[in-house]
This record gives sequence, structure tokens and C-alpha cells, in this order.
Amino acid sequence: MSSDSKETAKTPMVYICGECHSENEIRPRDPIRCRECGYRIMYKKRTKRLIVFDAR
Amino acid sequence: MGEYSDVKPTVKEEFGDPVLYSKPIKEIEEKWKLVPAFLKVKGLVKQHIDSFNYFINVEIKKIVEANAKVTCDADPLFYLKYTNVYVGTPDVDEGFNISKSVTPHECRLRDMTYSAPITVDIEYIKGNQRVSKTGLLIGRMPIMLRSSNCVLTNKSEYELAKMNECPLDPGGYFVVKGQEKVILIQEQLLKNRMIVEESKFGIQCQVTSSTHEKKSRTIVFFKGNKYYMSHNSFTDPIAVSIIFKAMGLASDQEICQYVCPHDLSKFTPTLEECHNLEIYTQEAALKHLGTKLVAKRFVTAASKVKTPVDEARDLLATTVLAHVPVEQFDFQTKAIYLALMVRRVMDAQSSRKAIDDRDYYGNKRLELAGSLLSLMFEDGNWTIKRFRMERQGVTQVLSRLSYISALGMMTRINSQFEKTRKVSGPRSLQPSQWGMLCPSDTPEGEACGLVKNLALMTHITTEADEYPLIRLATNTGVQKVTFVGGEALHSPTHYIVFLNGNILGVVKQYKYLLDSFRMWRRAGKISQYTSIYLNKSQRCIYISSDGGRLCRPYIIVENGVPLVTSTHINEMEKGIGVLRSFEDFLHHGLIEFLDVNEENDSFIACYERDITPQTTHLEISTFTLLGVCAGLIPYPHHNQSPRNTYQCAMGKQAMGTIGYNQRNRIDTLLYSLVHPQAPIVKTKTIELINFDKLPAGQNATVAVMSYSGYDIEDALIINKASVDRGFGRCLVYRNSKCVLKRYANQTFDRVQGPLVDPTSNKVVWKHSILDSDGIVAPGEMVENRQVLVNKSAPVSSAVPGTWAGTSNVEYKDVSASYRNVEPSYIEKVMVSTNEEDSGLIKILLRQTRRPEIGDKFSSRHGQKGVVGLVVEQEDMPFNEYGVCPDIIMNPHGFPSRMTVGKLIELLAGKAGLVEGKFHYGTAFGGSKVQDVSEELMKHGFNYQGKDIFYSGITGEPLEAYIYSGPVYYQKLKHMVQDKMHARGRGPRAVLTRQPTEGRSRDGGLRLGEMERDCLIGYGASMMLVERLMVSSDQCEVDVCNNCGRLGYCGWCNSCKSSGHVSTITMPYACKLLLTELQAMNITARLTLTHYCQ
Amino acid sequence: MDQVNDENPRIILGEHKITRNLPTTETILDQTFNIKSFKKSLRIVIVRYTDTPLEMEFDIIGMHPFLANTFRRLMLSDVPSMAVEKVHVYNNTSIIQDEVLCHRLGLIPLRADPRMFDYRSNDSEGTEQDTLEFELKIKCTWNKDENKDSSRVDDMYKNNNVYSKHIKWLPIGNQSETYKPADVGPIDDDILIAKMRPGHELDLKLIAVKGIGRDHAKFSPVATAFYRLLPDIKLTREVEGEAAERLKKCFSPGVIGLRHKEGRTVAVVENSRYDSSSRNIFRHDDLKDAVIMTKIQDHFIFSIESVGAMPPDIIFTEAVKILRNKCVSLLEELEQV
Repeated sequence: MSSDSKETAKTPMVYICGECHSENEIRPRDPIRCRECGYRIMYKKRTKRLIVFDAR
Repeated sequence: MGEYSDVKPTVKEEFGDPVLYSKPIKEIEEKWKLVPAFLKVKGLVKQHIDSFNYFINVEIKKIVEANAKVTCDADPLFYLKYTNVYVGTPDVDEGFNISKSVTPHECRLRDMTYSAPITVDIEYIKGNQRVSKTGLLIGRMPIMLRSSNCVLTNKSEYELAKMNECPLDPGGYFVVKGQEKVILIQEQLLKNRMIVEESKFGIQCQVTSSTHEKKSRTIVFFKGNKYYMSHNSFTDPIAVSIIFKAMGLASDQEICQYVCPHDLSKFTPTLEECHNLEIYTQEAALKHLGTKLVAKRFVTAASKVKTPVDEARDLLATTVLAHVPVEQFDFQTKAIYLALMVRRVMDAQSSRKAIDDRDYYGNKRLELAGSLLSLMFEDGNWTIKRFRMERQGVTQVLSRLSYISALGMMTRINSQFEKTRKVSGPRSLQPSQWGMLCPSDTPEGEACGLVKNLALMTHITTEADEYPLIRLATNTGVQKVTFVGGEALHSPTHYIVFLNGNILGVVKQYKYLLDSFRMWRRAGKISQYTSIYLNKSQRCIYISSDGGRLCRPYIIVENGVPLVTSTHINEMEKGIGVLRSFEDFLHHGLIEFLDVNEENDSFIACYERDITPQTTHLEISTFTLLGVCAGLIPYPHHNQSPRNTYQCAMGKQAMGTIGYNQRNRIDTLLYSLVHPQAPIVKTKTIELINFDKLPAGQNATVAVMSYSGYDIEDALIINKASVDRGFGRCLVYRNSKCVLKRYANQTFDRVQGPLVDPTSNKVVWKHSILDSDGIVAPGEMVENRQVLVNKSAPVSSAVPGTWAGTSNVEYKDVSASYRNVEPSYIEKVMVSTNEEDSGLIKILLRQTRRPEIGDKFSSRHGQKGVVGLVVEQEDMPFNEYGVCPDIIMNPHGFPSRMTVGKLIELLAGKAGLVEGKFHYGTAFGGSKVQDVSEELMKHGFNYQGKDIFYSGITGEPLEAYIYSGPVYYQKLKHMVQDKMHARGRGPRAVLTRQPTEGRSRDGGLRLGEMERDCLIGYGASMMLVERLMVSSDQCEVDVCNNCGRLGYCGWCNSCKSSGHVSTITMPYACKLLLTELQAMNITARLTLTHYCQ
Repeated sequence: MDQVNDENPRIILGEHKITRNLPTTETILDQTFNIKSFKKSLRIVIVRYTDTPLEMEFDIIGMHPFLANTFRRLMLSDVPSMAVEKVHVYNNTSIIQDEVLCHRLGLIPLRADPRMFDYRSNDSEGTEQDTLEFELKIKCTWNKDENKDSSRVDDMYKNNNVYSKHIKWLPIGNQSETYKPADVGPIDDDILIAKMRPGHELDLKLIAVKGIGRDHAKFSPVATAFYRLLPDIKLTREVEGEAAERLKKCFSPGVIGLRHKEGRTVAVVENSRYDSSSRNIFRHDDLKDAVIMTKIQDHFIFSIESVGAMPPDIIFTEAVKILRNKCVSLLEELEQV
């Protein structure tokens, strides 16, 4: 594995709680639990990238 | 109560005048509204929930009570006693001894089991002190959704929405490891009753006894000229006279009194048997039985002590006819029972009418989740060796293809009958199924008639207490059978009363007994589900309160007048007065439940007009005789019956909506329609089961005409403009799951960010859609072979103890990648942990599909077809209103199928369209064709529904008038995109080197035996060689002409020479055979000759 | 039968099928196409023209069915119009799926004169000549101003419904000079696109191009365009009294009238044009023979229901132009052979 990927792995990602919809920063290997409500299901945020669709 | 009893007309008032007598009884308006009232309290899956509730609240306590005390061989003073048992509410262990209440949806998402703790209170001896402890956890119980312990019960729609649960979901299933599991209803022959049937040897009377302790089968039959009893604990059949003697009926006269044969001469050989064997006393009989015992498999210390005589006596008391209680070895009741069995065989010998029908639904019991679970709770397994029961397919994963498929599964009944046997009886429609089981809903093929479905208003009983029934019976003049002599048993004035298969006693005034039982039931003093019925030919009255009987509510008719009136219905609807719910109708004795047996002892009118003075009951609504799936069909009574059956199968494959929470679910496969519509032609069932809220189909404008020849063999022509505008568009959701495990050696799976190509400094294509956390982001499009989760696992995980530290653990790439030629979009990505606390990543993938040639569609009348051609709107025919059809259907689909219901649906739909309302096509009712035609005419349409159409191609009017209008069409889950397959070159199986099989493995298309035969017949030998060898597993081998064995590289190893080796081609499979034979010490020698010689 | 075998080509509506009459003279259906006689015989009468909805009904008399049908077909699938073709999704956190949302956006009729635009080639970047760009940026929030007790969704949230009016036009190049904002945008501003709840957000760029209905129905300039043949109803005998009432009911209102003649009520044909050809007269055995229902084969009653971008008359003339261009290019092709 390249060293680049390891660096990126340490940066936290933002997930959204499935219960209270608050944003949680979770690092890899952190337990998955909402800081606000303790709910254990998180969802990833939508991609920031542009997606093009055909209107058909 | 008083108010209504005043209203009740007396006989004189209503029937004194003969003019009045002949007057037809007024129809009770809207009495079908009792059906929604019934479903409101009972629901569609109430049988499951009731059964489960009974189990966790009552039966589990009974089971624990029965096995409460545990003693110890070593210390006779020690004991452990369970004093109580509870099932809690579902929760999840959060670690650190904290548990949190959990919702079913969370369990589905996190792959957990929706279960509750089972706790017990115990009492035991410690030293010589009695210690008691409460609240000890002994295990966990999966909780049925919407049962009494479920978090969803009695919640408002808003609260359910908060818990991500669909308010229309019926519940009645379990969530086990994230999967929804249903325990199917199991059908089996009833227990503890005499069944007279014909066997290999002749007529026999069989009883399968079943109690909590013992299960056994006792058979009385006639062989040669004697009556025998056989039982699995005796090696041979034994003459019944010996059994009677062993039971203490020493004199032959006594035996004859109990059996009371019509023709004594027939019974004498049996009695003679005793004399031949010189058995005159009970002792002698038991001794004789002692010699016939089946050798026990396990010889314990206790059993050694017993003499064969004692053992035989024990066996007679506990195992033979185990359900008949014997106290203090007083065999009298059991002897009477056995005598009755003998008598039944005799009766059946003289009159075939006395033979019972095994397939009769009164002789069937349905086992539900509760009783099946209680078996498991006792033994922990469904393959219970003790009772020699092997059960497979009892639980199934709930099919969530559509709302209907889920509902249909909850009402499904599985028969225990083997599918392979070629007997038509169990498969054919039984008249006693009427109203209880749907006559249409059964699969085609091997399970046809064995898998059935409940009708709309069927209820399955749970066990009720016998004690009040015994008391009531004794108080109404039932004499204990032991008090009356043998003559009374068979005298024509006496009727034998049975309670749940056991003889309760005899009664003279049987009418009084029947009437008072029914009265008490209607008054709610005894269980509503108790049934009592008279069998006149057997002179028996059967009272049943056991679980698993099919029953159904009926309106009570007294003196030719139904007790329910229109006022009652109105009041119920408005919620005024005493009658507000269905239960109130039961409590007021206006409606009662009848089971199959009692139903056959009643006069039931379908409609008010059918009521005669004898009538005892009135149907609530005739459409309820169909089940959930058949209830969707409009005008099913106009269709040929197999068509309804086909639709029942297809309705389960229709795409649509599966629940209000469908967007929150992450299922392995979920189909949904982009624009689902409620059908224009509804049925009452559709409204009752909320199909109009969770529909699966679209109202397509259909023209019945031929077009272009691409519509032969049921193919459909569809309008491209309709497709452009969203007709038949569907969404296909699939999931991809990824578990991040921890291993014993302190290593764990890891997920890494995307890989960057060092030369270009760009993320590699495979990882281009990954976020920095190594998981795809929602919204992205994934293409074939792209990575969804960049997971890597440690190479060595099995070595515990030797912890190498995280830094130098070697990892291998085990990333989850997308495998499908068609790209998908990421709908959502869930990150969570499962029960074992390992990471869980679920990715929901989505595809949107527009209909294309080859996609399967179907109307609600078993008329399926694939799209044959997609036609431009301009080429479509159009009518004088400018309407052009969405679908063109070939009229040849009608004559042979005889789906008149579809024709009426079209007409009613068209009228509904112009009038702006829904029409009803309810079974045995619905809008009449006459009225519908009238409505069409009012709006200037042809009364037959036929319009003038102009050809879109020539522009001229078509010669024929075209039958056109809206028909509800379902898009079925079979789509070409998932099926199309072709292969040129591709993967081969390792062993045989032949092409792989199946689309999923990119396999070849097989040239099978029949195709091969064709080629042989045609003489195309080179073609055969090409197909079977060249294009498959052609292989060059070296053969030694000298020894005939295989060599290699031009060298024969056995001759140690290359002189006679030549190369030939043969299928690799052939070469494999030769080598495999050689491995078994068989040499196959090949002799080669030249091609031209 | 004399009543149907006149100089007009007719179809006769029988009980079970349609038959043709035997005209006394040669009709347009028998003749080979001849521009001179065509010019002479052709008549166009505009019957109805409404602005809202943009609809037109007109009669074409003296035309061969093939030609009338050609115009109908051209209007449906060859006359171009503008529609959203590509959607750039920057953000969509609403519950509606991206593809479904884009499909819905594509079907929204746009106000833009397609004659002012070119077809955009597949690989090119959009220019002011061939592309219109729109933006749909909307976010749903809690409504804090309104009374808090209300549980009506419209009071609780802001922007919970996304309508076509929320689509904003983004002029490219000199488009802002060429067009007024009122000339470009969705035709109807009350088309519901999506429903949202607080936290949901849409951020889209819509790219509209010129296209034809054969490619996708969204490019069709008409909701529908069709014709029917002029009904002609004749009474063969006098129908009076109750029978006359029944006769009247079998047709659309205004087709059959009742006259009072010498104390009798007699049915007469008033205006057969608006008969819906329901043929319900065949339900009455006694009246079946009293009526002959025909349609005149060279008299087309055209209806054009425009989607709103172009008025129906323009759509028709555009269709004519397209036919002319097709003919011209065919002739050119033939000359090269």
C-alpha cells in the first residue's frame, strides 16, 4: 500500500446519525456511535462531486 | 344487551302471517362493513400473533411448570425449582451490562436479532438452606413483530413512523440476524381423535395420541377374521380381546357389552383368540403382552427393576392411547375408548359411509408459530428425535418483493404431506375448505394443492381451558361414562359426548346440551372459539376447545331472521350505541365463530334471500371466501378458475411499493415502481388490505387489437411516448455488505483510502469513486469492477497468542467490488456495528430501468406477456378523442383463456375514467355491466366500450371497432436485463475443461441430449464433433500404439519408447475418464487405426 | 342507399364494422395526387382557437388521408421543441432519486421558441445558439415565523414543495440581450417537481436543448395532435314521439333536435359535427334502420393541443415546412442518383 493512502486514512470523515441527523466526525477505528443521541447507525454524506444525468 | 333483546322479533310477530312468511327477507345494507371491523381487531396475521402471545404469556409458563423441578441423583435433598418465567421486551446489549430497547428496523439494518430476554425465578437448596433468586437470565426469545411484547404494539401511525416502521405492515414475523423470517402455518392431521380409514389390510381405526409427555399411534384393524390392535411399543399386532383382558375386562360378556357388535359371530374369533392362548385373567393377558414388548434401546437402572408384566401395565396406562387419562391403573375409560374404536371399525365394515375423510378440514389442525416454538422451547430443535419429526422449511425468509407477496406469505399454509406421492386427494379442493382457505391461491407444479392460503376472515384458534366446559357439560346432564354400563354406550337414546377427543360421558337430551352450549358461548361465558357439533350417524357430540382449528365468523339467524340489522351496522359505523367493534357483536351474541365441524352441522345462507326457516347462520360477506391474493382480482367470478390461480402467483411478482418505510430499508433485492397507481377498478379486498395505499401496477390504456405481428403469443405492443413519460419505469435496489472483523490474534480488517497512481498522481480508476475513508460516497455512479469498499484483511488471522503488533501485520486486498455490466448509482451507505460489535458497512445500489423489449407485464387476470415491440406514438392508432393506447394487446389472448373478468374490468375502468370515480369489481358483486354501459353512454361513449380508431400509419379509420380502455397492468420482476446472456469464448471448469454453466458464471449454452439427437438424426456428424468437442473441451493426447495407453510429449512411459506414439484429439472429459480409471487400477487401452482403413 | 352513395367519399358506421360507400363521381381518394386539383379542392376552416389552453380546432377539407396523417405525424414527432436534456446534479439530499428527479425535469414544458435555436451536436459544448441553461437551487427549512401550533405542512416548513417556478434561467452569451426573462422558462409555474422536508436540498443545473418527439416524447411540441373525420348523420325515415326522444339520447347533445310538426314531435338532424360516433343507436332494434351514420373521408377535423411553447397554428405550419424540406431533400437525393 502506498503511503498516501495511509495518511488519508487518518483524517476523520463526517457521517450523519440515522436518528437525530446530526453530523459526527468519526475517525477510522473509532466506535460508531452518535455523540448526540448514542444511536449506532450512521450514514455517509452525499458526494461533493458533480454527477450528470440524462433527463430521460 | 337488553335493548337489543327487546328489538328481537318473536316467532309469532314475524312468522304468524303466512303472507309475511313468503316475503323475502330484507337485505342488511352494508353488512360487509363487518369485514373491516373484523380485520381491525383481528388483522390479517392475527392468527400468528395470537398464537405467539399465547405462547409467551401462557404456554411457556405451563412448560416450565411441567418441568419445574430438577433433582440430583447424588444428593437426594438437593433440588432446583423454577417458580416463574417471564419474557421481557426486546433489547440490545450495549456492553457494560447496559441494555437498550431496540426497534425492529434497527435490527434489520444492523443484522441483529429482534429478541427479548427470558428470565426465571428459581428456588434451590444450598447447604441445607432454601435459596430463591429472581430475574435470572436463561436465554433470549425472538419476538414476533406486533406481538404483546413488541415495541410496535398499540402505537400510533406517528410513533411507528418515528421508529421507521410502516403502519401498514402486518407484523407476525421475526427479525433474525437482520433477516425477516416467517414461521409458516403447518397443516397436519388432527391428534387425539379416532380416524377410520382404509389401509392396505382393510378398514382400520387410528388414533395419534399427543400429550406433553407422550406421542404415540394406536391402530385397531381387522385381519383374517379377528380384530387386532397395533401399537409401536408392541412387536406384533395383538388381538383386542387380549388388550381388553389386560385392561381388566376379564369376562367376554363385559367385552361384548362395551363393543356391542351388530353381529356377534364376527367378533367371536377375536374372543376365541384369548381361549386359544389360554388367557383368562388380567394377569395372564399382561404376561402375554410382556412377551410382545419392543426391546428398549436404553436400559436404565430404574427399568431393570420392572417385570415384563409391570412394564406392560405401565405401557397400557401411559403409552397406548396416551391421551386417555388413566389414574391408579383404572383402565375403564381407556377400555371404553378402545371398544369404541373396535366398534367404529365394525361400523365401517358394514357401511362405507362410516369411513372418515382424511382430507376433510375438520380433521386437520394448523400449527402456528406459538405451538411450533413451544416444541422448540422444549427441545431446542425442530428435528426432534423423541417424536421422530423432521421438519424442513418451517421458517422461510419473508419475501418482500411486493406488499402482496409479504402478506401472502403470512397467510400461507404448508402441508406436511410429501410432495412426491401421487395421490390426488390431499391436493384437490376440499368442499370443507369453503370460506376457510382460498380456493384460488395455490402454486402450480409440485406443491400444487399442498401449499394453501387462508381466506380473508379465517381465524385459527388457540387452546382454551377445558375445565369450564367439563363443568358445563356435567351440569347439562352429561353422565360420566364410567357410571353407565356398556349398553348405555350403544343404546340408540344415548349420545356419547367427546371433549377434545376424550370421552366425557353420555347424554340423553343431546339437543339440550347443544343448545345450552351454544347459548353460553353466545353469552360469552365460555370461549368464543369453542365448537360443539352433533354427529348423528355416530350418535356422538363433539366439543372442541383445542388450538389450531380453522374457524370463521357468521351472523346468527334465529327463526329465519338475521340478528344483525342495518341499524346495528349504521351504529357501528358512526360509533354510537353499544356496538362499536366486532368484539361487541360477538359479546352481544349477534355473530359467532364456527369451526369447520360445526359449520357442517349448521344451515348457512349466503344471502338474505336464501334464508329458510331452518337457516341458522348467514354469511357476513361472500367475497371473504377468497384470500388476500385472489382478492385483488376484479370480477374473479367471471374468470376461468385457473386464471385466478395464475394471477395469485403473479401478484406476488409484481413490482410496486412494499411499505411506507421502503426507502429506509437496505434489502438484498428490492424492486419498486417509479409511478405506482391505485387500480381504477378496485375490490373491497383491495381497500381492506390497503393495496390502494401500497399499489403494484399502473392503469394502462389498452386497445385490444392486433398490430404488426410482434404481438403474437401474448406479446404486448407498448407506446414509446408512454415509456418516455414514465410508464412501467422501475427502480431496482441491491445491497452490498461488508463486515469488518476482529480476529483472535488482535488483528482486524481495515479499510483504506483510495489508491493513488504514483506516476500520474491521480486516483486509480478502480478507486475513483471512493472517499478518503475508503468507502464509496452516495450519489456516485459505479461501473463494472469498481471498488465499493477498499477493505483489506490480515493474511494470518488464525494464530492466537503471538501478537506481532499492528505495525508489521501483512494485509491482503479483499475489497468489495461491483460486478454488473450495467452501472448503478449509490443510494446510501450505512456504517454501523452488528451484534458481535464488528464494523458493518451496507451499501445500497440503485438502478432505474425503463421497459424494453422482453420485459414481462401482466394484467390481474393471469394474462402475462412480454413486450414484443415498442412503437412510436405517431404509429399508434388513435381514437376520435385523440387518445392512443399505452398497450396494444392481441385479441387472441381471450377466446382460449376465457378471462371475461378482464373485459369487464376494461369496461368498468373506462366508465370510472369518464365519471371520475373508482369502480368496484368485488368478487360475487361489483359494478354491473349494465350500469357501467349506461354510464359510458351518458358520456357519449359506445355502450360496448368499442371506439373508432384511426391507423397511425395510413391515417385511415380501421375497419373494426376497437375495444379499448384502462386495464390495471403489473410489471413483473422478470426483466431481460437480468436474463440476457450470450457467450463466445469464456471461462471453463477446472476439472473437465468444459465451459462453465449458467449466466452468473458467464457460461456456455448447452447443446443437450435432445439437440444432440436431432443432429444425429440429421447426420451432421462433423457438426456434432464441432459442438461437442472442438467448441467444448478439445484436447490433444499422445497414445501409444504399442500398449494402447496414454503417453505425453510423444513418449510412452510404460513402453519407454517414442516409437509408436501418435497424437490424437479427444474430449478432455474422455481423457479424464481414462486417467481416473487408471487411478483405480483399470487400464483402458486404445487401439488406433488409420482414418482411411 | 342513395343517401350514402353521393359525390362524397364516405365511410359507413355499421353495427359491427365500418364499410365504404360507392361515390357517384371520382373522389380525391381515387385520384393520383395532382397539385393543381389539390389546390383547387383544398379548404381550411379554423373553427376554434383558444389561448388557455393553447388549442386549435380546424377543418381540412379535400385532402387525401395520407397527407392529413403526415401532418399529424410530423406534429407529434418531427416538429422540434426545447426540453431539458442533461441535468448536472451538484446536490440532491431530497428523497426523490436523482434519475427520477431528472426524468421529471425533462418532462417540464419550456417556454422557448425552438425556431431560434440550432440542434446541438453530441460532443460539442453548449453555446448560446443551441442551449438554454437553468438552475434549480432550493433548500427546505423550518418555518419559524408562522404560528407554531399549526401542523399543516405548508405552515411548518418553507420550500417543502418544489415547483417549476423555482427554476431560474441562466442566460449564456448574449442570450440576456436576445430574450426577455419572460420569454424563457417553464411554461407552467405550478408543476410539482419534488416534496422536501427540512434539511433537504436541491442544487441542479438544467441544460435544455432542441430535439424532436421521435427521440423522446418530452420534445414533442403538442400534448396531442389528432384528427377525426366529419360525421354525417342522416335519418332515413321519420321518427316521432317517444322514439324520437330515444333517438336523441343516442347521440351527443345537439346532434338530433326535436321539431313539433302538426302536434307530433319529430326528430331531425341538427348538427352532426359534434357526434362522438358512439353508435348507441344500434341498441334499439326499432331505430337501427332509421339512421345512417357516415363520415366524410376527405373532411378532417384537426385538433392541436399545444404544450405551450408554440401556438398550434405555428406548429402546423412548421409541420408543413418540415414536409417541404423533406420533399426537397428527397428530390435532391434523387437528382444525384
